Amino acid sequence: MKKYLLEKTETYNLLKLGDVLTFNENREFEIDIETFLLGAQHPFIVDFSVVETLSKDWVRSLMRLQLGLKKKHQMMKLVSVSPNIFSFLKKEGIDTAFQIAPTLKEALQDLGLGTKRSLDTEFINPFLDATLHVLDIQAQIKSKPGKLCLKKNEKEFQSDISGIIGIVSETFNGSVVISFPEKTFLKVMSSMLGDNFTEINKDILDGAGEITNMIFGQAKISLNEKGYGIKTALPSVVHGKSHILTTQTKGPIVVIPFESTAGNFHVEICLSN
Amino acid sequence: MFNLKTKILIVDDMLTMRKIVSKVLREIGFSDITEACDGKEAWQKLTTTQEPFGLIISDWNMPNMTGLDFLKQVRADKKFCKTPFLLVTAEAEQHQVAEAIKSGVDQYVIKPFSQDNLKAKLEMAHKKVAARISA
Repeated sequence: MKKYLLEKTETYNLLKLGDVLTFNENREFEIDIETFLLGAQHPFIVDFSVVETLSKDWVRSLMRLQLGLKKKHQMMKLVSVSPNIFSFLKKEGIDTAFQIAPTLKEALQDLGLGTKRSLDTEFINPFLDATLHVLDIQAQIKSKPGKLCLKKNEKEFQSDISGIIGIVSETFNGSVVISFPEKTFLKVMSSMLGDNFTEINKDILDGAGEITNMIFGQAKISLNEKGYGIKTALPSVVHGKSHILTTQTKGPIVVIPFESTAGNFHVEICLSN
Repeated sequence: MFNLKTKILIVDDMLTMRKIVSKVLREIGFSDITEACDGKEAWQKLTTTQEPFGLIISDWNMPNMTGLDFLKQVRADKKFCKTPFLLVTAEAEQHQVAEAIKSGVDQYVIKPFSQDNLKAKLEMAHKKVAARISA
């Protein structure tokens, strides 16, 4: 099994190294370096966060990768290097041969890739499209988005049940919420599960979370293809008549109201850098 | 296609999703369906049942033990290493799919899914399992 994993984003390559890197694991890596260099159109960030042992062969290989990237005018940065590994590099007299950044976030900023993300159409549209798709496919409910607006205060857009999921990446945080009035939610769940629900009970309560999870998942695929680097998260549910949601994230909240064959509902997206 | 009498184990921490998968499977014609709310409970049901399960359909993103970890545990056991296994996920990115295939998944289903989607994936998984057994 390979002791490394290459993840490609639209703006950089993230090479995640394993815990114990010895001569045996290095042979395969040496072969893969050629493939990495062939397709290297972006800088490389080498993640050392779990590396415990590093042999001299690996150091030589990383230097070879760095040299190859330099010839292609691409940079390489090491991140999350532990004090032990740093001491080893220093002892070998090669600590200055590499550019080291404390975290991925800082490496991205050094490379000019840690640009601020904003609540623009590029970010919002994947959530809007995902909402339409999820309700159509999973609940056979057709929806239509209304005019987007900014949430001015937390008392606006109160609802009865909400699914919430955090948006976490190296460079920004946020959240996505889908909120339903009770009547709409019951119709959505009745259609989704093929039953006639007349009250919100424990059997359908986590449905708001599952819908949020599906919307988040669909939007995440699309956004990560554009280099957003959003991480996996688990949803939670808030239930209460006309509840008020307060986000910890300090940033603007965009509200997308929807009309649907099951009734009205809305999606809130919040983002802060 | 799998025999409609196949005993199926659904693993998902979300009750709603277990009900959705179960509903779609019943619409297809399956009836012997057992549910587990996480990898731990699923493993317990897998190892204590008398009549073995002929298909496992597990969520990917679960607390405590992910679907991928559960898959690895199943594949590492001699008794269950050939049991057909489908992963259900809302966020299949390329590297995740590659890891699941490497770990021995037979098919993966992306949420949201229709009855036709799931049926097609079950047929693909069945063909893969048949090829694996005859090899």
